[in-house]
Amino acid sequence: MESYGANIGATLLLRFMALSYNHRPSLRRYLYGVDGPLDLTIGVRTETGSVAQKIRFRDGKARVLGASHNDTDATLVFQDNSVIRQMLTAPPSELLLLLLKGRMRMEGNLGHLSLFNYLLSVLIDKTRLRPLPVPPKNGASSQARPVPNEPTPKSVAHRPPSQRVARLTTGRVDDVRWLDEPFLARYTLADFPRLARFLAEHFDTVPELCSERPLLLTRYFRQHGFEHDSQGHPHVPVLRQAQAVAHLLAHKVPIIRDGDLLAGTTTACPVGVVLYPDAHALMIWGELGSVSGRALNPYRVTQETAELLHHEVFPFWLHRSFREWVRHRHGQPLCQQLDERFAVYFSWKTVALSHTVPDFPRLLRLGTTGLTAEIDEELARLKGDDEKRHTLTAMRLSLEGLVAYARNLAAQARREAVKVASPERSAELVDIARLCEQVPQYPARTLHEALQSIWLGWIALHMENTNAGLSLGRLDQWLQPYFDADMALLATPAERTAYVQRAIELVGCFYLRCADHLPLVPDIGNYLFGGSSSDQAITLGGVTPDGKNGVNDMTYVLLKVTELLRLRDPNVNARHNLAHNSDDYLRRLCEVNLVTAATPSMHGDESVMRSLGQHGYAASEVRDWSATGCVEPTLSGSHMGHTGSTMFNLVAPLEMALDDGRHPLMRWSVGPRTGAPERGVLPTFEDFYAAYEAQLAFLTHQAVTYNNLLGEAHAQLRPTPLLSSLLRGPLRKGRDVTRGGAEHNTSGVACIGLADVVDSLQAIRILVYEQRICDFAELKAALRDDFVGHDVLLAHIERRVAKFGSGDQAALDLANRVARRVHDGFAARANFRGGKYTTGFWSMSNHVAFGGLTGALPSGRRAGKAFTPGLTPSPRATDNLLDNLRDVASLDPTSMDNNIAFNIKFMPAASTPDDDGHARAVDQMHAYVKTYFELGGMQMQLNVVSSAMLRDAMAHPECYRDLLVRISGYNAYFVTLNPEMQIELIERAEYQ
Amino acid sequence: MAIAPLIVEIKGNSLDDGPGIRSVVFFKGCPLSCDWCHNPEGKELHVELAFDAGACVHAGACVKACEAGALDAGRVDRERCTRCMLCVEVCPSGALRTVGRQATLAEILRVAERYKPFYRTSGGGVTVSGGEPTLHMEFLGELLSALKALGVHTLLETCGQFSLESYLARVDPYVDQVYFDIKILDDEAHRRHCGSSNARTLANFRALHVRSVAGGTPVLARIALIPERTATAENLEAAARFLRDCGASRVALLDYNPLWHAKAVKLGGTPCFARSSWLTPEERARARAYFADFEVV
Repeated sequence: MESYGANIGATLLLRFMALSYNHRPSLRRYLYGVDGPLDLTIGVRTETGSVAQKIRFRDGKARVLGASHNDTDATLVFQDNSVIRQMLTAPPSELLLLLLKGRMRMEGNLGHLSLFNYLLSVLIDKTRLRPLPVPPKNGASSQARPVPNEPTPKSVAHRPPSQRVARLTTGRVDDVRWLDEPFLARYTLADFPRLARFLAEHFDTVPELCSERPLLLTRYFRQHGFEHDSQGHPHVPVLRQAQAVAHLLAHKVPIIRDGDLLAGTTTACPVGVVLYPDAHALMIWGELGSVSGRALNPYRVTQETAELLHHEVFPFWLHRSFREWVRHRHGQPLCQQLDERFAVYFSWKTVALSHTVPDFPRLLRLGTTGLTAEIDEELARLKGDDEKRHTLTAMRLSLEGLVAYARNLAAQARREAVKVASPERSAELVDIARLCEQVPQYPARTLHEALQSIWLGWIALHMENTNAGLSLGRLDQWLQPYFDADMALLATPAERTAYVQRAIELVGCFYLRCADHLPLVPDIGNYLFGGSSSDQAITLGGVTPDGKNGVNDMTYVLLKVTELLRLRDPNVNARHNLAHNSDDYLRRLCEVNLVTAATPSMHGDESVMRSLGQHGYAASEVRDWSATGCVEPTLSGSHMGHTGSTMFNLVAPLEMALDDGRHPLMRWSVGPRTGAPERGVLPTFEDFYAAYEAQLAFLTHQAVTYNNLLGEAHAQLRPTPLLSSLLRGPLRKGRDVTRGGAEHNTSGVACIGLADVVDSLQAIRILVYEQRICDFAELKAALRDDFVGHDVLLAHIERRVAKFGSGDQAALDLANRVARRVHDGFAARANFRGGKYTTGFWSMSNHVAFGGLTGALPSGRRAGKAFTPGLTPSPRATDNLLDNLRDVASLDPTSMDNNIAFNIKFMPAASTPDDDGHARAVDQMHAYVKTYFELGGMQMQLNVVSSAMLRDAMAHPECYRDLLVRISGYNAYFVTLNPEMQIELIERAEYQ
Repeated sequence: MAIAPLIVEIKGNSLDDGPGIRSVVFFKGCPLSCDWCHNPEGKELHVELAFDAGACVHAGACVKACEAGALDAGRVDRERCTRCMLCVEVCPSGALRTVGRQATLAEILRVAERYKPFYRTSGGGVTVSGGEPTLHMEFLGELLSALKALGVHTLLETCGQFSLESYLARVDPYVDQVYFDIKILDDEAHRRHCGSSNARTLANFRALHVRSVAGGTPVLARIALIPERTATAENLEAAARFLRDCGASRVALLDYNPLWHAKAVKLGGTPCFARSSWLTPEERARARAYFADFEVV
């Protein structure tokens, strides 16, 4: 009877939908794109088979079909009838939770499902497509939400970090040549009204879906063909892409923001969301009607944009994204099905292949003219070798597009210079025109030209590559020669002092330009990667390629800008080399972290370089490493490290080992049958550990397989000739970056939940095998019951099981053992580009998402709770920070060649804003960080916020919209995070 | 080698017990018995049973294990308890806990060795506190001399009730800094609230201060601001007068911390002094005013 009801409900809904679309012209027009009718067939069914329905849209007509037809484009699969009933009655946001709790899943073409969702949303609330009111900015409109535990203190009682006034000063240190006081303590934001204005705009502007890129690209391909050219010959992918990118750049609207010192914008919106329909943009299709009103991180979307995307852009790409290419070519392989359940791994390659650092020094030194001359030389020498000829030609073409964009900007600046009323601004615009006439076509000569050149290169790269983890590299090293040149021309100390202020302003404009775009985050992404920006990493400090102190004037200028602006992105990473960099520098890093609350992320330079040592890179290249995306090291300018290729759940194989290969939340016996441990088939801990390794090896194989298939999809669908022209390797090899053209090729995996796995294995070893406090049957019963009614067992876990980070040697050894196993499993595999896999232990915010899809664990962690961020020890491990630091520093860097994220929430004992308190707080941080590095630590990131303040921010988001927090590898504004992530941050261990 | 005394705990990471990052050894046993004692676990020389009712999961194992019948659901009968600690061994949650264990010299040195890198970067070291560390003068001397041999900075926190002669002979050569508590200046009140005369404390402070001026171990007077006890107008005025008279120009004023109540209750005590709130900024400022001519740290 019950199943009958659910089936009827689903049928009625689909019938109503078909009827409405067939009989209401205002709806029916949504069934057509510019190429004709939008055909799709969507199934709805339950796992139990109690419901099986289908709706088909064909030639502008809708029909509900019985279960017999077996040709759906996509299907929504529900766990059982109750979930269907929930779906029929719940608001869309709850649907997402069904997905995230594994109670519903999607099969088939996700673009078609997005389209179906959109048609459903149009049906339900057509009015939402009218011009949309500008939603209030992040958090400002949020209702006060329930906050865990304690009552909230009054927000006025808190002193936001920005209001700290005390600053340290120092004399000339490191390789500083010009700055008399490198900490630049005398400057505050008030000295830079231009930056203050841009910063206010950054927080006030609602990001908008920008139609410029998708429209130019789609129209270009519709005219010139994608698979075949107009004569019906198959396109050479790399040439096709170069022509499209050159077209895009030449036709992009040249915009110079009012008052800016740098020309050019990534999108045509003040703050734009860049859309990559060639990657994942279709995921927003279903939300076009609702995204402006969603609770977390809403986007503005004009009716015009929504219409263009629906009718013209998205239909073209239904079968042309990386994900769908793999589904079509390889018949929705198991590795893809696993990815689309979100529970065991998540592939970023469906979105991007852009975690790399371009060779900007070469662009600055040679200009595109010089780069093109090198290409021409190579072409002139070339005999045969079509691939090389095509690749080089494509590189050349895309560079021409870059120059065309710069010329358009120069012309625009000259036009505006004539029109503008203010003589000062007019002069600035004439300067900008001269800049864009010089760079990037010709070599940069000044700091201003260098920044403009990098910025234009950056925009152009984003027209080609998804804005996810593409990173800026060692800007202090690369900009210093231009700063030197500028300073050398100045005669008096007063002129030089004035120029330092100018340099801060220019770099500040550059940072704020980088913040002009956001990645596209569908609502599910708010839960998986909440609050993340594009993660444009900048790297500071460390050593020069020839091994000297790399901390220079520009390092301190960039740090000052980081401190003044407190932006989440660019994502500032600082290397500290114990042998070469000064203590003052490390103190300054700590001070900036204290003032900004969350940035920069700090790296132990020697240990990171040790982790890279295993790959046989030249010493000079290893010394030249940059953080990429979040924290991952790649060799600057020569290395496609795609360091964020896959987010991998280390806990899933543990759950599967406990259940004979079955994943509990997916209800899927997908792994190898390693035996049900409660039947006594795993008599020793080593037997259980072997079962874990077997499940781990299975999932590793699947993750690698999917990543490699997607690698092939990138090479076919979206080669990257512009990026190829800005990396070392493709010129010599004559091969595009997507096909392994870079000098060095690796794929980096982020392995999540190390501390949770180690603590769980410890619990099993100690309680089940050694002390025999319980057996597997009792343990599994407790896990099933989420420890409710198992207080005694939970108490044993708390008391008897020494956790990772507590200083216990056995736990530490086990952590090293698991990390080594994980690393070796991935390192044994080759990626599509012919390189190796690397492993890192950081999590973005996937420790929250994966945690949500994981049951209770033997470690005592309750069902659905977040894992620890990165490889941070559990707050339950110890209350002694020193043991935490020692244990993490004692992990072997060679297992962690894709770096780590180690989070500490730190409240200085003396956090008073007076001079003494400030200096004391910096000293304390410095002592912890320096010792951690001395002990071999790779990376750490400090959140200088109290739990009390975070609770207050949860209740009063409007008072905290610029509160910066470190998640795991990236920064976010706290108020942009979903509640689960906010709670995870609050519950992190807090040290004084 | 001296017999290792009981300790309450070794705290690995402290920023509040001297310069830099420090590890603190809390010895058990104190010659005074201040009625506001912030470390009640350090008062008695012998082991004690602590019971944290909030942490109890009612496993019931303790009730079965107790041969004296001193345990009932969620309650300890202190009269009957023989401190055999059998209950602690069977308690899964840690709600029942033994306070006081023997720590060998080697164990403490291992801790110091472990955290030495942190001491070095921060200018920290090891602090001995309590209870009253000088109750165990012989062990203390051995411990501190071994720490000095490791190159670790040492700091003694003391209530000043010790034999000066013994201290100078056994301990002083290995101490880098003394934090010396001054409590109540009126001897009668000191006897009433702290359980003994203050004469020796004050004489010892004076002597150590004279030595420190002459290049001996630096001594810093510390006054915990306890409302109705040390933080009265008369006492603060008298303390300032005494310190001035000794020639001291620096003093540390410590805040009252009401969290000691909970600790006392777990040991079966009933705190007679029951202020449950922190000091107000006004109270703090008022106290500081008596030391206007001092460097207050």
